[in-house]
Amino acid sequence: MRALLALASLIRHPARTALAVAGIAVSSAMLLDMVMLASGMRLSFRELLDARGFQIRLSPKGTLPFDTEATVGDGRATLEALQRHPAVQAVAPNLGTQLIAPRGEVGVTLAALGVEPAVQGDYTLLEGTQPARGEVVASRAALRALDRRLGDTLTLASDWDTQLRLFRSTQVYRVAGVARFHYLGADQNVVALPLADVQALDDGARDDRLSSIMVRLRPNANAADVARDLTAQLPRVSVLTTADAVAQADERLAYFRNLAFILGSVSLAVGFLLVTTLMTVSVNERIGEIAVQRALGVQASRIVQQIVAEGLVLSLVGGALGLGLGLLTARYLESILGDFPGLPPDISFFVFQPQDALSAMGMLVVAGALAGILPSWRAARLPIAATLREEAVA
Amino acid sequence: MRPLTLITLLMFLAAPASAQAPLSTIALDERLRADAGLRVGDTVTLSTTPDGAGTRMVVAAFTRRTADPSEVARSEYKVRLHLDDLQALLGYGDRVDRFAVVTRDSAATERTLSAVNAQAFGFRAHRSRDIAVETGRTFAVINRFHRAIGVITILASAIFLLCIMLLRVEERRREIATLRLIGLSRRTVVQAIVVEATAIALLGAVLGTGLGWVSSLAVNRFYQGLYRTPLVFSLVTPDVVLLAVSLSAVLGVAAGWLAAQRLVQRAPLALLGR
Repeated sequence: MRALLALASLIRHPARTALAVAGIAVSSAMLLDMVMLASGMRLSFRELLDARGFQIRLSPKGTLPFDTEATVGDGRATLEALQRHPAVQAVAPNLGTQLIAPRGEVGVTLAALGVEPAVQGDYTLLEGTQPARGEVVASRAALRALDRRLGDTLTLASDWDTQLRLFRSTQVYRVAGVARFHYLGADQNVVALPLADVQALDDGARDDRLSSIMVRLRPNANAADVARDLTAQLPRVSVLTTADAVAQADERLAYFRNLAFILGSVSLAVGFLLVTTLMTVSVNERIGEIAVQRALGVQASRIVQQIVAEGLVLSLVGGALGLGLGLLTARYLESILGDFPGLPPDISFFVFQPQDALSAMGMLVVAGALAGILPSWRAARLPIAATLREEAVA
Repeated sequence: MRPLTLITLLMFLAAPASAQAPLSTIALDERLRADAGLRVGDTVTLSTTPDGAGTRMVVAAFTRRTADPSEVARSEYKVRLHLDDLQALLGYGDRVDRFAVVTRDSAATERTLSAVNAQAFGFRAHRSRDIAVETGRTFAVINRFHRAIGVITILASAIFLLCIMLLRVEERRREIATLRLIGLSRRTVVQAIVVEATAIALLGAVLGTGLGWVSSLAVNRFYQGLYRTPLVFSLVTPDVVLLAVSLSAVLGVAAGWLAAQRLVQRAPLALLGR
């Protein structure tokens, strides 16, 4: 009955109700987007790290993997030390560098990864086979930029000698595969080739050097414990578990998290103000009607419940519409942020989780209920006789 | 290998400066003063590897981070060495990564670019502006994101304002009906409501500008403290204020007109409930 009365009161002013619902829908859409933004990046980054099945990453001391151009020496000794650890199942070393595909005097620059193809976790092969010595797998962007296809050959140089105007250490490679690289931008020109080929470039200048190492642990191994062991054994590298890497990324992305918090709070405040304003005016308009209800014996608590129910209905309907609107705007905002240069294709800023929708709706419903409490409290405490007299005179 | 990137990996140890050895000087990131308790005159040992022998240097100065957005979220410390000291430390020989050249005017810039690219072996000259455009892609994305958020906020504000105006005119329907009955034209009523709505919107815009300015101070204080940077994150400029006030006025006029139309299209007696 109370819900029916609340609904009847809202239907009495359709334009006003529709506008209020629209306002709440926009506020709740923004609120949902900001809740998704606050947790989305962390979640998608964690999924990106976990998806390849490596729980620990090693990089030169004081750096994050591929954050700088620093490398670790004594690569073989480091790999042997890792493989000796009883909890370690597989080790995937990696050496990053730049290669140039000569084209006139400028050339096309490519990011190059030296990997052990059998255990690597940097890419997924889309076509072809893993690279043997003298072969590469390339991103689609690289093949487009170089106008090459699977099975073609391409010439790559390690450097451009600015004094002699010559490409150094040039070598011909066969394109053995096309791959999707997980940790590099979708539009980046990338090739991966056997680690030994990269280490042999420039007459072995990079011999025994590594940029990062990914470690897969045996089932039931505790990553934090293993990381502690490895840190003690290998003082020249930083050992990061997935949780550490996510925490580091979190620190860098604090801007978006804070922005999400501020805009989410503003959205909630706007929704709250809208419902409060509407309910206050609505109660003021119906003061005579409420006084009559009270005179007929309707309890004050029922008046309060009816008005709070009105606020709740507005919040629920607006929130439900806002859910759809929020998913649409999240997709639009994602398409904007997806243009960040070098953003890995698997990273998302807005990740929908049912609990996000629930928490956004929950906050909105609580705000809607709170917004109705003050006007309903005032209405329930009206002096009945005086109000009826004033309304009759008016 | 960029020397300044690598140097951020260095270990340092504070020790009393030696009076005999003529040590080179180094300028350290200001944040190191707080984090490592270093002072001018302290001696630090720098090495390219954690277990290397290293080179001892005297702290001569502390430098503040520049307001560079691309570095804002990075927590590494930057140190500045004399070029020959850094070349020796890295075994870099007589090599440098790049030169920065100051020209007298834009014509001189063009002449210098042409001359270097045409004649100098081993060098490629770029205009600073072109490099800034390339490195500014990240911030172009952030700008588009902020603009999209702004559009959603404007939409929410417009609905809010229209809702408020609708409530206000609904509250005053008897008063307006009386005015219509004593001879006021529909046009006058619409104008009065539009003026009222515009005044509300402008008053809100003025208050909002004040609130925005205070929020901007708080945002800058928070992020500058968080990232320890002099970078200004939020700036209230005359252009921004003008845009906000103009938008509010337009929204006010539109909301007032729409609300007034609902009222003047009904007969005065119907507004009085007869």
